[in-house]
Amino acid sequence: MAASGSGGGSSRADNGYGSQQPRRRKGPGALATAYLVIYNVVMTAGWLVIAVGLVRAYLAKGSYHSLYYSIEKPLKFFQTGALLEILHCAFGIVPSSVVLTAFQVMSRVFLTWAVTHSVKEVQTEDSVLLFVVAWTITEIIRYSFYTFSLLNHLPYLIKWARYTLFIILYPMGVSGELLTIYAALPFVRQSGLYSISLPNKYNFSFDYYTFLILVMISYIPIFPQLYFHMLHQRRKVLSHTEEHKKSE
Amino acid sequence: MHRRQKPSAPEHKRDLAAHGGALSTSHNDTRSFFNFSQLVLSAGHLKSPPVLKHSKITYFEVEILDMQSKKQICIVDKVRYRAQSLPAAATRFKHQLWRSGRWWCLVVHVTPRGYAHWYGSLIVPPSSTLLDVKHKFHKACPQWYPSRVGLQLERNGPYLKDSINIQSLAVSSIITLYFTDLGQQVGWTTFFLTEYTGPLLIYLLFYIRLSTIYDQVESTKNFRHPVVHLACFCHCLHYIRHLLETLFVHKFSGGHTPLKNMIKGCAFYWGFTSWIAYYINHPRYTPPSFGHRQVSFAALAFLMCEAGNHFINVTLAHQNHSGSKACFPSPTYNPFTWLFLLVSCPNYTYEVGSWISFTVMTQTLPVGIFAFLMVIQMSLWAQKKHKLYLKRFYPEGKFHVARAEPSVEGRQGQGHTTTRISSCFKVKGKESTCSMSHQMQLG
Repeated sequence: MAASGSGGGSSRADNGYGSQQPRRRKGPGALATAYLVIYNVVMTAGWLVIAVGLVRAYLAKGSYHSLYYSIEKPLKFFQTGALLEILHCAFGIVPSSVVLTAFQVMSRVFLTWAVTHSVKEVQTEDSVLLFVVAWTITEIIRYSFYTFSLLNHLPYLIKWARYTLFIILYPMGVSGELLTIYAALPFVRQSGLYSISLPNKYNFSFDYYTFLILVMISYIPIFPQLYFHMLHQRRKVLSHTEEHKKSE
Repeated sequence: MHRRQKPSAPEHKRDLAAHGGALSTSHNDTRSFFNFSQLVLSAGHLKSPPVLKHSKITYFEVEILDMQSKKQICIVDKVRYRAQSLPAAATRFKHQLWRSGRWWCLVVHVTPRGYAHWYGSLIVPPSSTLLDVKHKFHKACPQWYPSRVGLQLERNGPYLKDSINIQSLAVSSIITLYFTDLGQQVGWTTFFLTEYTGPLLIYLLFYIRLSTIYDQVESTKNFRHPVVHLACFCHCLHYIRHLLETLFVHKFSGGHTPLKNMIKGCAFYWGFTSWIAYYINHPRYTPPSFGHRQVSFAALAFLMCEAGNHFINVTLAHQNHSGSKACFPSPTYNPFTWLFLLVSCPNYTYEVGSWISFTVMTQTLPVGIFAFLMVIQMSLWAQKKHKLYLKRFYPEGKFHVARAEPSVEGRQGQGHTTTRISSCFKVKGKESTCSMSHQMQLG
């Protein structure tokens, strides 16, 4: 679900950048376009900061363990900033489905805050590095893709990268996420994190441990769907570009 | 002098493109005959639809093709071909069909007098409606029963209603209808019976405290607060009332809904009922904070809302039954129906009221979440219904109802209720009655 941001984005790409469906409405106005360009540039820069931070920390430490601490703050900030994308869809300046975008962004934010931040013991795990790297590369490419698309000067390299690198990055991100959640389970059970038990005044109970297990299970139906959807998009977008090039 | 084409086995297996090609050549040959026959026909007294100016149409021909296999999928009607009347447009449409991809097309071919003998053609008289076409289609292809068939004029256009006359669709001698499979359909009665029987039984299963759900030792030890028994009674009353109304009060005009909707609705109701019932009947259930006062007040409100809901449904069904007028329901001597003065569909208001009072009665958060979701859903349905009312009864405006709160007469089934509405409207100072009975479809 981590790299599913690219999945949601690709549906945006299809609608907003006209590769398969006819435009159903006019694109965003000039002001909205300017705002979106700024937003995407800022997000690209942010994720670049995270990437640079990771590299520097690796070079300084000499090993790839516990690199999370060096990029903790920018990661939280910029991943939470992705919540604005839901608003973009809700206000219609980005032609994408609100529900789909919300689902994808919330899954990312959930992992950042409710798992990695809340369960301190998993922050030293290697699986955290796995999904952080996957997210970083995906998001840099995705946001630069949007920036260039909005400015109508999309280099083929970025488009190719966006629709090809996910083949490795998406499974990588998903494995990192699943391993992190799995690592967090014993600590959640032990500390009773975010759990309410009966009896209480409002007759409600919530077991975070079971909830995390359900989340892990939900990856099973959702991940293949999104992955094959992206593969399908890839075939459409890249073959469309080839045809366009040939015709020129 | 009439040209005949007898059906023959090799012809059946022939590809339609070849068939079309063959006809076009024969068309040239018989062109002169065609013009002559036109002359003859125009002298006759056959009825012609207003659209086509030159040809007399006696029958419409419907052809069903399967796009993927490019073969005719079934024999719908086979009639002897008497007069050559295939215009060039027919072949053009054929070629269009091949390129259409995965669409199935019902080609309605309008023939001037006589029958067109085509493999897989359907002939219906010009005065027939879409429903007749669907019935004929069903007779030939038994798996496509009429409620399952969706016909559109354009690829992504709206579905055509069954009552539309074929003639009104004819803009040339060929009408192409696009056929989509709407999926497995279920009747409304089945839908609601399933949806409401589930929660009734599920709650009772939790109430009797099956050993697999709750810890047996705890269950036998704990004393059960009377509110638990009261909640069970109220819950069962609610669903029994729904079931009885479905069986005896509501009149569904034979509509259908896709099976998917039933699965979704059942999953929602059954899932939430299990969740609610688990907490209320749990050995560690905590009774409401304000004790008996809270319980009795909430129970009273619940019963009032149930009664109100019932009376509204009965009133509406009664009005539908008695008159054939379709107007907005008016409040009667029954005080529960006075809510019609405030809201356009008090049905939903009462339903929401029931659930909120149930929440207060049991003081359980999951019930509150369920009530909240119901509020959202009913408000959406009621808004749609209200807009529909405005459009139908007050196209100019001047709606005297204060606000469009949740309400609908008839059913609240996911916006697809079909009930006959007939009641009179009272506008301030003016009484308007509309004398048509119609089927209302929500959403």
